Amino acid sequence: MWRFIKNLWTAMRRPSMHFSLGFLTLGGFICGILFWGGFNTALEATNTEAFCTGCHEMRVNVYADLQQTVHFTNASGVRAKCSDCHVPHEWTDKIARKMAASKEVYGWLFGTIDTPEKFEAHRLEMAQREWARFEANDSLECRNCHSFPAMDFSQQSPRAADAHQRGLGEGDDTCIDCHKGIAHSLPDMSAETAAHGTGPLTVTQADVPELDAYLRSGTDGD
Amino acid sequence: MRYLGLKTLAAGCLIAGIAVAQQSNISTLRMTDPLNDEMPPPMRPVEETGLRPARNYPEQPPIIPHDIEGYEVSANYNRCLSCHARAATQRSQAPMVSVTHYIDRHGQVLASVSPRRYFCNQCHVPQHPDVPLVNNTFIDIDTLLTMPEE
Amino acid sequence: MNLTRRDVLKSQAIAAASAAAGISAPAAAQNIVTERERTELQWNKAACRFCGTGCSVMVATRNGRVVATHGDAEAEVNRGLNCVKGYFLSKIMYGADRLTLPLLRKRNGVYDKTGDFEEVSWDEAFDVMAEKFKATLREKGPEAVGMFGSGQWTVWEGYAASKLYKAGFRSNNIDPNARHCMASAVAGFIRTFGIDEPMGCYDDFEHADAFVLWGANMAEMHPILWTRLTDRRLSAPHVRVAVLSTYHNRCYDLADLEMTFTPQTDLALLNAIARHIIKTGKVNTDFVDKHVNFKRGNPDIGYGLRPEHPLEQAAENPDAAGGFTDMTFEEFEEFLEPYTFEYAEELSGVPARRIEELAEIYADPDTKVMSLWTMGVNQHTRGVWVNNMIYNVHLLTGKIAEPGNSPFSLTGQPSACGTAREVGTFAHRLPADLVVANPEHRATAEKIWKLPEGTVPGWVGAHAVLQNRKLKDGEINAYWIQVNNNLQAAPNMLEETYPGYRNPENFIVVSDAYPTVTAQAADLVLPTAMWVEKEGAYGNAERRTQFWHELAPAPGEARSDLWQVMEFSKRFTTDEVWPAEILDAAPEYRGKTLFEVLYANGNVDAYDVAETEEYPNHESDHFGFYVQKGLFEEYARFGRGHAHDLADFDTYHQVRGLRWPVVDGQETRWRFREGYDPYVTEGAGWDFYGKPDGRANIFALPYEPPAESPDDEYPFWLVTGRVLEHWHSGSMTDRVPELHKAYPDAMVYMHPEDAASLGLHRGSAVKLTSRRGDMLTRVETRGRNRVPRGLIFVPWFDANQLINKLTLDATDPISKQTDFKKCACKVEAA
Repeated sequence: MWRFIKNLWTAMRRPSMHFSLGFLTLGGFICGILFWGGFNTALEATNTEAFCTGCHEMRVNVYADLQQTVHFTNASGVRAKCSDCHVPHEWTDKIARKMAASKEVYGWLFGTIDTPEKFEAHRLEMAQREWARFEANDSLECRNCHSFPAMDFSQQSPRAADAHQRGLGEGDDTCIDCHKGIAHSLPDMSAETAAHGTGPLTVTQADVPELDAYLRSGTDGD
Repeated sequence: MRYLGLKTLAAGCLIAGIAVAQQSNISTLRMTDPLNDEMPPPMRPVEETGLRPARNYPEQPPIIPHDIEGYEVSANYNRCLSCHARAATQRSQAPMVSVTHYIDRHGQVLASVSPRRYFCNQCHVPQHPDVPLVNNTFIDIDTLLTMPEE
Repeated sequence: MNLTRRDVLKSQAIAAASAAAGISAPAAAQNIVTERERTELQWNKAACRFCGTGCSVMVATRNGRVVATHGDAEAEVNRGLNCVKGYFLSKIMYGADRLTLPLLRKRNGVYDKTGDFEEVSWDEAFDVMAEKFKATLREKGPEAVGMFGSGQWTVWEGYAASKLYKAGFRSNNIDPNARHCMASAVAGFIRTFGIDEPMGCYDDFEHADAFVLWGANMAEMHPILWTRLTDRRLSAPHVRVAVLSTYHNRCYDLADLEMTFTPQTDLALLNAIARHIIKTGKVNTDFVDKHVNFKRGNPDIGYGLRPEHPLEQAAENPDAAGGFTDMTFEEFEEFLEPYTFEYAEELSGVPARRIEELAEIYADPDTKVMSLWTMGVNQHTRGVWVNNMIYNVHLLTGKIAEPGNSPFSLTGQPSACGTAREVGTFAHRLPADLVVANPEHRATAEKIWKLPEGTVPGWVGAHAVLQNRKLKDGEINAYWIQVNNNLQAAPNMLEETYPGYRNPENFIVVSDAYPTVTAQAADLVLPTAMWVEKEGAYGNAERRTQFWHELAPAPGEARSDLWQVMEFSKRFTTDEVWPAEILDAAPEYRGKTLFEVLYANGNVDAYDVAETEEYPNHESDHFGFYVQKGLFEEYARFGRGHAHDLADFDTYHQVRGLRWPVVDGQETRWRFREGYDPYVTEGAGWDFYGKPDGRANIFALPYEPPAESPDDEYPFWLVTGRVLEHWHSGSMTDRVPELHKAYPDAMVYMHPEDAASLGLHRGSAVKLTSRRGDMLTRVETRGRNRVPRGLIFVPWFDANQLINKLTLDATDPISKQTDFKKCACKVEAA
């Protein structure tokens, strides 16, 4: 066995005796493309709505929530799918997020949230993770579509225009500060609201011990 | 408390009634006979005026002058209070919930909004830009006081 | 019948201009008026006009106009709160199209069924109406006249109408629209307890540790009771709320335990809970041994359809639907054996672990449970059974008739209890739980009414759905509808309701304040005074009787239903309507008018009109005695001393209502329980005295499938119901601009994936079709109701969207109440 490995290693180190350098280079290139394309295709496949809602947990909880919101149907017919908000567009961030998502696969395999009751029990923790990510990246996934410079206040309600001017323009708010729970039902927010007199919502990071670690794993590429 | 009588007004209402009745062989809320249907009008988003219309009387709960679609008001969270709670109004510049909302069933004033007032849209509703099917001849007290009594 | 929308709009513009003609200087131009004499408002209490919660409101009047309303802070029911409808009560009387004169279909100056409506005098209206009623009585007898009343009648209106029909015309064909609403609850009470109406009261809300909603969207339909439930749940963190429904509604916003079940399977869920209680040894054996009997209800009872319908032909017990036999506890346990959580899950779609969680709430002896239900349970082809089965669970555990332990049947109409049930305006009932089929009960009524023996007939009259069938078949020919909009409300409108109204053999009279869809299909429309335009009394769901005074004049010549019934009775003499044998035996009644024998009988006319004091009272002024007081005091004789005691008339004008039985001036909060109910003897603990042996019944009743289920052709369940902003058919609320604009048009709530699979969008125009009819509407995939796949919900308030063209006229065979909550339909793009 050891001899077989040794021989293989020797063969691999030796220059090719049968194939031209050109062939090898081109072949490697093509293989590279195929591999890379395949990888990306596979990666993209995990970004589709069909993939995300392929598991029961997503379909009956968060996807059912989403279907009730403006991110699902709206006047212009632009739909935000799961990955638009939950997967970074930047490649390194995306890979990091996908690696972090392995925890979700683990959760799925071991049934951490396989009933609506369990899902509700974990909803706060999961939501806080997402809010923290949005806060840390200045709501990047919101801004991929909703950029502040592109906002036409004359097309917004006076109430919204005023809040955007004060919060985003003059203040240092980020989208998620006000727009929590716009795509999914909220978890029990009593701790959040009690701390703020039912006022503006912010993430209290100390509540979630593993949050820092998670954030680091997800934002290393920045 | 026998009626003080407001004859001009009564006459006005009478005329109003007759005007409809004389012409109307049909229900005024329904535009066709019971057997035939008309296509219902398109669904319209609520009025987002941001303006506060005068109330019909001081005790009337104000209507909501903005869209509230998708606002979560559940045991988990009350989106309305995120702007209208006392502590939130500095930031939101929204009207604070009325002081009556801090009073519980027994007349005690609580530290925060009374739980029995928790579900806002039991009393407060937004408005769609529809024209009412039938006029309403309610007269508010201020107008009534300016009218001649007989 | 060919007015265009444009004509209507034009007439509305005229109406607006006319109303505006009465208004002089614009208010804005004036400084604030401060003079006390001018700014003072008259404030009086009244019961809310809408649902069965029975909120008290304060009504401000000035110069004969209602100018403001708000929640009555002194009222125990609502403590100063109203729902959005209640806050807009001020405007319900002021729709510009109020009816002010009778309208009769005429052609060439005379009545003609195919003619157009023309204004006529009350005299002409009653002349034609009396002629039609007399001809019908003469030619076909009392079974050919009928009346459809309401749980919105005031107590004395229902009582006076009941007397006119049951004693005057000798016809029991009088039924209230409460038949569509509360009949299953009534039959449930009578079968289990032998006496109608809840044992508990609203105080239970502040005492319960858990609330279970069995088909009641309280957040929208009983908003003020929902505030009390919310108050309890959010104030006391240990309290839990379980919500059972066939779709996700606003109550789920507060739910700790949500259970969306397949229609009809509540039967299986309740049996599974009962089984769990027995299997886990949580039966309160001491209570059960002393206070409960076990009964086996007849199965396979049909669906209340016409007898020739295949489903009725196939049923084993359609004619003995209410029958039952004795059984033992052991037999009951054996009967429940198949109803495992797994079997209940299979039928209902609710995960077994949740059913178990709910069962544990009931089983735990330390958790006080309040069960609440309305139309989800009552409008059900097995509605009586579900009522019985909810009591089963409470009786097994002894969780009943004490603070916080309370199976509580809510009501939909303001006086479903007070008028329809307590006065007994049903086709089979008399006041205070007496029934027409019992000769002793009839004799009691005849004695109190001072009428000859045999006046009240013993045959059970036609119930709501049967009245419509008989109208269609030409068996009822003279028909009077008061305070309801039955053409919009009744099931299978195209096949079973409308044809009867337009049957050339029939004469249809509708009394209403507004021109409703029902008025549209009538032959004579009588303009009616509403709410505080008359002195009134309502009885709410917790047995609370509430009074109000007349506070404002009705427009034009509109008169109350009470005035109409009594005035109409003057046109009949006993010789015209009673058979010779009655008059031969009691010749002193000969030649008298029905008014004289029914109302000027020494009881009803016993009180002087001066007792109305400073309040206006158009009926008493007209008839010359205090009509309401006389009717009430005569009516109260039925119940006093028989566990239905009412206080004296004048008391009710002083207090914010009292819960009967009122004994020695004290109301009763919990019936059947020692220490609370004066009718329970010392040492008894509980006494279900409605039954001869003082024991309540636990019923063994199976799961049986619904009358119609979705199939390939009609793949959706159709569920109908109400919305918060409108009340019933919308005839009042849809005339309040703020309420109309809050919810302008009905729509069909669909699951987004069902909509997508049919190529439909939110807002798409669609046609809904059942085997009976179709309707156009628009799709809603979001909002307050989230329906499961394969089920749609359509509210019925909208006069322009008559969803009852689609519904099935199947009823509970025992209660005869329609099932508006389940039939099969399809959805197509329109």
